[in-house]
Amino acid sequence: MEPLSSYIILSSALLGIGIYGLVSKRNAIRLLFSVELIVNAANINLVAFARYSNPPMITGWNIVFFSIAAAAMEATVGLALILVAFRLNGTIDLRKLNRLRG
Amino acid sequence: MVDIAFLAISGLIIVSAIFALEVKELIYGAVGLAFSLIGVAGLFILLGADYVAMFQISVYVGAVVVLILFTIMLVRRESGKIVEQEEPSRLGRGGALVAGLVALAMAGAVIMLMPGSVEAPALYQVTLRELGRSLASSYAVPLVILGLLIGATVVGGLTLVKVEREEKSDGATQ
Repeated sequence: MEPLSSYIILSSALLGIGIYGLVSKRNAIRLLFSVELIVNAANINLVAFARYSNPPMITGWNIVFFSIAAAAMEATVGLALILVAFRLNGTIDLRKLNRLRG
Repeated sequence: MVDIAFLAISGLIIVSAIFALEVKELIYGAVGLAFSLIGVAGLFILLGADYVAMFQISVYVGAVVVLILFTIMLVRRESGKIVEQEEPSRLGRGGALVAGLVALAMAGAVIMLMPGSVEAPALYQVTLRELGRSLASSYAVPLVILGLLIGATVVGGLTLVKVEREEKSDGATQ
């Protein structure tokens, strides 16, 4: 069984990849990918801490259930918004969706 | 000591996450995301959380990724061409720098604050009965709120798409 720190390093790497996508990508669906990756990094941390606490706690699992469900809902609304934005503007490139720019 | 299964799974997660963000075609990106999420489920199994892994696969890979695939196909068909013509982004290098700094800071802070090397206690098999009891007793109210939230989300998504269509039929697009 590997030490807890390896899980933390892995989830930090996943968080870094997600932040990179959020900062540098222009496609709205790519941003949704990045958000999912960040949520998964948090879930890995939760399950790992729940497993390595002594005695192992079930609370982390329950929180991960709620987190997964909430992430699924967030993806649903985000995709609906992307679809609406595409129908209105004909693009999902975020640099071109600047009608609200003052 | 690091397990070989852990190494393989974390390699799968990281490589397919980078693939999902960097590949040209968006459809392949969604498939890469699916592989990354399956890798996370494998990590959950490694941590003894089988039921969470099942939930992860059925919700994420079964619902979210399929939804993303449908959206990509809809967006593509209506435009009749490949939507993504990504010019090389000027923000790419800066974004990578920021992301690397954040990841390093997070990992370093947590590892420095952690007392020594934490070893896992003996594997503790949580039965499904125990999990269900905790969800139905101490987490009953959040569960109901979650159900309400799912309902609101579905109604909200339908409304978003429907309102836009009515607007379009009036000819008032822009």
